[in-house]
Amino acid sequence: MTLTASEPAAALQHELPFERATLGNGLRVVLHPDRSLPLVAINLWYHVGSKNERPGRTGFAHLFEHMLFQGSQHVGTNDHFRHLQQVGGVANGSTWFDRTNYYETLPAHHLDLGLWLESDRMGFLLPALTRETLDTQRDVVMNERRQRVDNQPYGRASERIHELLYPADHPYHWPVIGYMDDIAAATLEDVRQFFRTYYAPNNAVLTLAGDLDPDEALRRVEAWFGEIPAGPPVPPVSSMLAPLGGERREVIEDDVRLPRIYIAFRGPAYGRRGWYAGDMLAGALSGGKSSALYRDLVYERQIAQDVGAWISPYEEVATFMIVSTARPGVEAGVLETAILEHLDRAAVEPPRAADFERSRHRMLTEFYSGLQKLDNRADLFSQFTTYFDDPGGVAREADRYLEIEPRELTEYAAAHCSADQRVVVTVVPRASR
Amino acid sequence: MPPLQVDRTAPPPPGELRAFRFPPFLRRTLPGGLTVYAARLAGVPLVSLELIARAGGQHDPTPPISPISKAGLATFTASLLDEGSARRDALEIAAWIERLGGYLSSAADWDSAYVAAALLAEHTADGLDLLAEIALSPTFPEPEIERIRRQRAAELLRRGYDPSSQADDKLFEVIYAGTPYAAPLLGREDTLESLVRDDVVAFYESHYSLNGATVIAVGDLDPEELIRDVEKTLAPRSGQEPAPAGPEINPAPLDGVVVHVVDRPGASQTELRLGHAGVKRTDPDYLALTVMNMLLGGKFTSRINLNLRERHGYTYGASTRFAGRLGPGPFVVDAAVSTASAGAAVREVLGELRRIREEPVEPHEMHETVSYMMGVYPYTLQTIGDVAKRLEVLAVYGLPDDHYDGYADRLAAATREQILEAAHRHLHPERIAVVAVGPADEVVPQLEGLGEVTVHRRPEPAAG
Repeated sequence: MTLTASEPAAALQHELPFERATLGNGLRVVLHPDRSLPLVAINLWYHVGSKNERPGRTGFAHLFEHMLFQGSQHVGTNDHFRHLQQVGGVANGSTWFDRTNYYETLPAHHLDLGLWLESDRMGFLLPALTRETLDTQRDVVMNERRQRVDNQPYGRASERIHELLYPADHPYHWPVIGYMDDIAAATLEDVRQFFRTYYAPNNAVLTLAGDLDPDEALRRVEAWFGEIPAGPPVPPVSSMLAPLGGERREVIEDDVRLPRIYIAFRGPAYGRRGWYAGDMLAGALSGGKSSALYRDLVYERQIAQDVGAWISPYEEVATFMIVSTARPGVEAGVLETAILEHLDRAAVEPPRAADFERSRHRMLTEFYSGLQKLDNRADLFSQFTTYFDDPGGVAREADRYLEIEPRELTEYAAAHCSADQRVVVTVVPRASR
Repeated sequence: MPPLQVDRTAPPPPGELRAFRFPPFLRRTLPGGLTVYAARLAGVPLVSLELIARAGGQHDPTPPISPISKAGLATFTASLLDEGSARRDALEIAAWIERLGGYLSSAADWDSAYVAAALLAEHTADGLDLLAEIALSPTFPEPEIERIRRQRAAELLRRGYDPSSQADDKLFEVIYAGTPYAAPLLGREDTLESLVRDDVVAFYESHYSLNGATVIAVGDLDPEELIRDVEKTLAPRSGQEPAPAGPEINPAPLDGVVVHVVDRPGASQTELRLGHAGVKRTDPDYLALTVMNMLLGGKFTSRINLNLRERHGYTYGASTRFAGRLGPGPFVVDAAVSTASAGAAVREVLGELRRIREEPVEPHEMHETVSYMMGVYPYTLQTIGDVAKRLEVLAVYGLPDDHYDGYADRLAAATREQILEAAHRHLHPERIAVVAVGPADEVVPQLEGLGEVTVHRRPEPAAG
């Protein structure tokens, strides 16, 4: 019942066939046939996110995402979801630092319905924009911010980390959802201008995955999207970074009882070899009860309620983060000392074989598990095409992890996790009034 | 081929519908009373294995049936199963499965306890051995009991400061007073402190019989071979007395509209819950209620979400649900709203509840809802976990093997009259609890006039 370290879970070859095309207007299209269920996933990435905003005008990419569900020239105000849901479709959108995505999974025979809706809001949005829908969505988004950030225990911490880790003019400095005052100030003209600048076919990737014939599906895509004119080139984002130049710390008081500590560093951008080493390091340190941090902090010393480490897949620069919540009566400083001991050791000693192996296998099972859902697979194809112009990267993702050697985890910790590069935010119970 | 012409002025017509059927599965009850469900789903080289025992939170000893409350005992016992077996200690168990990239969990909901492993298909037989080991030979070591107790105490403390959990906990305390459903599954601080190892051992001995238990295996496996493996690993240990059935849970109806405000001074938003006890999962009206609920608050385009979010902008989202349980699970309306609109939001919700139980739904709403539920069905069955969940429902609620085959026909046969009748019978806007977690000074004035208002203020935290 044992597995040797060399046994390649990589032998799990997964079939991920695809075809790709680029329309005359620059829209890149990926087609992934899989006929196992009568479903089709439509997934559209626009290469615009909160990093394309500027200070004082934050939260705009996300508010804009909401406006794209408020109808377009041929689709009524509340009809986007209604059309999709009444045929059994599941739809949503999301905004992140680097991109905004829109997606729907439908019974396969309703493919045209999804293409109609997506092409209408790409090509024919402006006539449908109204002050009323903007006013309502601004209220909805302000409530979303309250629900996710302001009224959420520990909700402000990750926002503060980004503010401290990246300087005020860096595009990852401000939160994706934006600041309340900026959200309140958004105008209809802002919405129009944002659409003209970023929502053009040449700044988008469309993936169709599921029960489809690639040639026939491409013909339909051409029919629905081909006539939408290309837009001007998208303005570049400047993300030059000087070194942090010393540790930065902050204490936040919140309505909580258990202190929590966040320790964060910058890391190599997603797609670099170093990023995969960082993800493997995070997996060796945390992830599972037998991991080094969990075993020490939660199981043996019982100073922590939980502990986690991860690296975020950002396009310009990654954020590597360790988070741990204290047990009652334990100060955040005790957790900090313990976590930093592990990080310091990781920078000089190779990971234990068991930790490395667990990290490796966990990456693989998570990756394969994620491939089960058609909409996840479509999203991965769009992601690899948007960031790297390489839909085939999806199938090679597992190998990227398996190429990493144990010493690269040590090198990662030594290069990226030193004291002068870290941000430490602690959330502590608010002093009694 | 010539280019296709498209007409943007109306929704394009559908193509040809392709059929979908629930994946085939094997079910067999072995001598000794253990039932196995096995389904082959070979898209990825993974398997999900779980053992389900009749040991859910509904069995937590509760007054007046028991002299004192032992709320949380079922989930405490379940969470201790993987903390030590006759062969291995807690870390050895975790290290073994994690090294393979697998996941192990042991937990309980109100109905049942679940020991589950997810791992690579090539380790299926080893995974079954592990399930058998931890389900059949747990040792409940004292140090692990104390460790898990402290972890759960900290979790309770955290819940007490999380507005969403506070709202849920207060709602169930009010609508299920005097029944096991009144306390959180995790228990309360006082009951958690009182549980001792003997309680855990006794609960395990009386509720974890394999006679009446179920194994569910889904993934890249051969069902016949899986059943043979179960016969080797688990079946020889079955044949005990079956576990006892759960208690009858009969919460008393509320006297009217009762309002509970949990004070969170300075909060930037208010968490709202409205609810009352609902129906058992096996109630004959369950399907009609599912359709009714979907239309009322179960999907994005539901009445309540469109009203509170899209018409008024009070919230990021509002939803409703009937939770299916062996006993009468709750009906709950759930929304986090801007504090200034709390009173208006509650009145809009109550208005929607009255409307749907007094007037038939519009034919187009009925059509849209049924069509959504039929169309979305294959989407909800994409993963190994999705299929395992559906098989759990058959096992736990004793539904027939062809339950899912008839689902589409039963949906298609649902009528507006049935929806109205089901709403009339099972929605009670005149006897409902309203819970608001937010700044009491601002919220209470908005809720006056609905019913008796009780305000709960948090005691000052003890020093240290």
